[in-house]
Amino acid sequence: MLVHRSTKRGAFAVAVAAVAALAVSALPAQAFSPRSEAGVTATTIKLGITVPLTGAAAPGYNKVPYGMKAYFDYVNDNGGVNGRKIQLVIKDDAYSPILAKSVTNDLILKDKVFALVGTLGTANNEATSKFVNDKGVPRLFVNTGFSGFANTKKYPTTYALFPSYYMEAKAIGGYLADKFAGKKVALIYQDDDFGIDALAGFAQVGTTFVAKIPYASGSQADPTVVGKWISTIVSSGADTAVVFGVSTATAAALGGAYKAGLAGKVQWILGSVGADPTTIKTLVPAALPLLNGAIATSFLPAAADTNDEYVKQFQEINTKYNKGATFDSNVLVGMNAGMLTVQALRAAGANPTRAKLMAALNTSGSKFASAGFAPLGWSKTSHVGYNGYWFGRLAADGSQTPVDGAGKYVLYTTDSSKGAVVKSAITRPAMPAKGLPTN
Amino acid sequence: MRKSKALSALTFLAIGLFLLGLSNFVDELRVYQGAQIAVYVIAISSIILLTGYSGQISLGHGALMAIGGYAAVLSYTYWHLPVLLAFTVGALAAALGGFILGMAAARLSGPYLAGTTLALAVGLPSLANQFHILGGEGGLSFDIGEAPKWIANKTGGDFTQYKWFFWVSTVCALVTIWFIKNLLQSRFGRTWRAVRGNPSAAALSGINIGRSKVLAFTVSSALAGLAGALLAMLLGLVAPMAFTLTLSFTLVTGAVLAGVTNLAGSIVGAVVLVVIPEITDVVATHLGGSEKITANLPGLITSVLLILTVIFAPNGPKLHIRKKVHN
Repeated sequence: MLVHRSTKRGAFAVAVAAVAALAVSALPAQAFSPRSEAGVTATTIKLGITVPLTGAAAPGYNKVPYGMKAYFDYVNDNGGVNGRKIQLVIKDDAYSPILAKSVTNDLILKDKVFALVGTLGTANNEATSKFVNDKGVPRLFVNTGFSGFANTKKYPTTYALFPSYYMEAKAIGGYLADKFAGKKVALIYQDDDFGIDALAGFAQVGTTFVAKIPYASGSQADPTVVGKWISTIVSSGADTAVVFGVSTATAAALGGAYKAGLAGKVQWILGSVGADPTTIKTLVPAALPLLNGAIATSFLPAAADTNDEYVKQFQEINTKYNKGATFDSNVLVGMNAGMLTVQALRAAGANPTRAKLMAALNTSGSKFASAGFAPLGWSKTSHVGYNGYWFGRLAADGSQTPVDGAGKYVLYTTDSSKGAVVKSAITRPAMPAKGLPTN
Repeated sequence: MRKSKALSALTFLAIGLFLLGLSNFVDELRVYQGAQIAVYVIAISSIILLTGYSGQISLGHGALMAIGGYAAVLSYTYWHLPVLLAFTVGALAAALGGFILGMAAARLSGPYLAGTTLALAVGLPSLANQFHILGGEGGLSFDIGEAPKWIANKTGGDFTQYKWFFWVSTVCALVTIWFIKNLLQSRFGRTWRAVRGNPSAAALSGINIGRSKVLAFTVSSALAGLAGALLAMLLGLVAPMAFTLTLSFTLVTGAVLAGVTNLAGSIVGAVVLVVIPEITDVVATHLGGSEKITANLPGLITSVLLILTVIFAPNGPKLHIRKKVHN
């Protein structure tokens, strides 16, 4: 029979052999573990990023890490950072917090990265926070605007770059009050901390909606779900609709609205997260007529604006180092974070440590050059990055021009609490020559 | 008999002490993988108990793990239960789920049972999107905290949270195997084997076949629930994506690789499941492949291993090797 004495003894032998095998496979890792700062050698600095390369949220955002890598390759070809070449380890999390946790484990324990850069998604960054904090790994320029990440007590190693969704909602609320007074506004939002952050911002400035339409992350792929959004908008009588969702959600909403014959009847206002025209056009060509004329928020210049010195330089880098990729705002976001990272690494000195990197951001980060139109707010007491948005009208060719007058950018700045929404002009540091930081 | 029991108890204790001691000397990555292995050991042995000994098949153990994971996290978060009690609640909740499923299962067999449990694996985790309390796709966070001071101080050094996870899951795995091993040698184990071997003969000997099958399903589910709660602990959260169809299939693969009638083989199966991604990582790095290859290669290798095992060693590699030696 099966539970025979000799079988049992055999079973134990197998068990012991298995454990021994594991132990042997484990020992070399201990023997060769580096003594110096993780991820830094005499010639390299290793960084890591988690993004959705696959799955429902991937379109568009899957270009961010390759834009960043292209910029790093450009810097590496021009001498690197203090003689060290930057390596970027890219991991796919499929926009799932569970996978984000597991690949972040790998980045920190297996790849032993020096820092994380541009990790994407609110829920994803929340899921990895505990571990990232425990290990003291700097997490720079997270690709999310969740206002909570600026909480330096809860997330001591995390640096926000994007203005928060709370700020964005306040800015949109301020803009609606300014230019759309008396209109009936509907809101579509992602039903997690991303959208909930925005709801709080709208509530703060007293924006009222005729319909609030939450959607579960991922459900935008279901046509019946999208059908319900559109029928809710129609039955609410809304003439203006705000979308706080990922690109695939914006594309689905615009495509669905076009099919329902809403072209010309509803003014669309798109949150910056899901407003990249190139991605939307590619995903749902039927969305194009509605995209044309939609108003979108942004804190970076339009990706099609070749008059902008940063955009022009980044486009050149994209052509040479990111072969085959169309330059869009996702690539721009990646390169912009790359440029800030290089400045942070330079500021951390000839022998960078994690502590020095964060100290450098605290003391000199607010003076770094970047393509962003709003000032950067990093200091010893704040990890808030940009703090404002401009509103631009999208056109079919993917361009975005300021809504306020002829080519004049107007910035709506605010904070993630009770501060007023202030309109101001744009000031930003000039780009370092050839886009290569010399700080 | 009593002497051999004492001996095997000592062996378990020795293995346990050896493993816990080992965690002081290895890289944190290996500690984490060790914890993963322990969780897989519990999950796989729950399948071995069900399939190998009571002769029922389940492709839905991922769903039972989800019940255990969510129940543990909810009871920990809302009732503020101590961790061990939360794990127990997880196991009991899954046992209840398994009991209900087992009632249906006892009336089904073969492909019908496989289909029913498969449907559960597909459908159940997505329930999280229907009820706000379950946290949707983003899930619920689960932080059991650090090791108690009296343990951390005794071992000295840096007692990381992952090491604590390793300790907790290793102890759970050893206790589980000890429990199943004894259960299988008891009246219940003999009954299950009799039912699996020949239901008609078992019924004629006075065994209530239905009751025996439901009991096996319930016990197996409780263990799957424990594994689910431990998995939630390891990941730091529960979310539908933690309990995918892939997980259910992976566990069955692990059980087949272990040899479905070989309890100790669950360790081999678990090690293989954790080691395969390691190997593919090395292969992909050497081939200079993209991250897409690294992400998909483990699935391919596991599937190929499954097919090869079923064709060449349907009773598990160990029995196969033993047979060869005896012939």
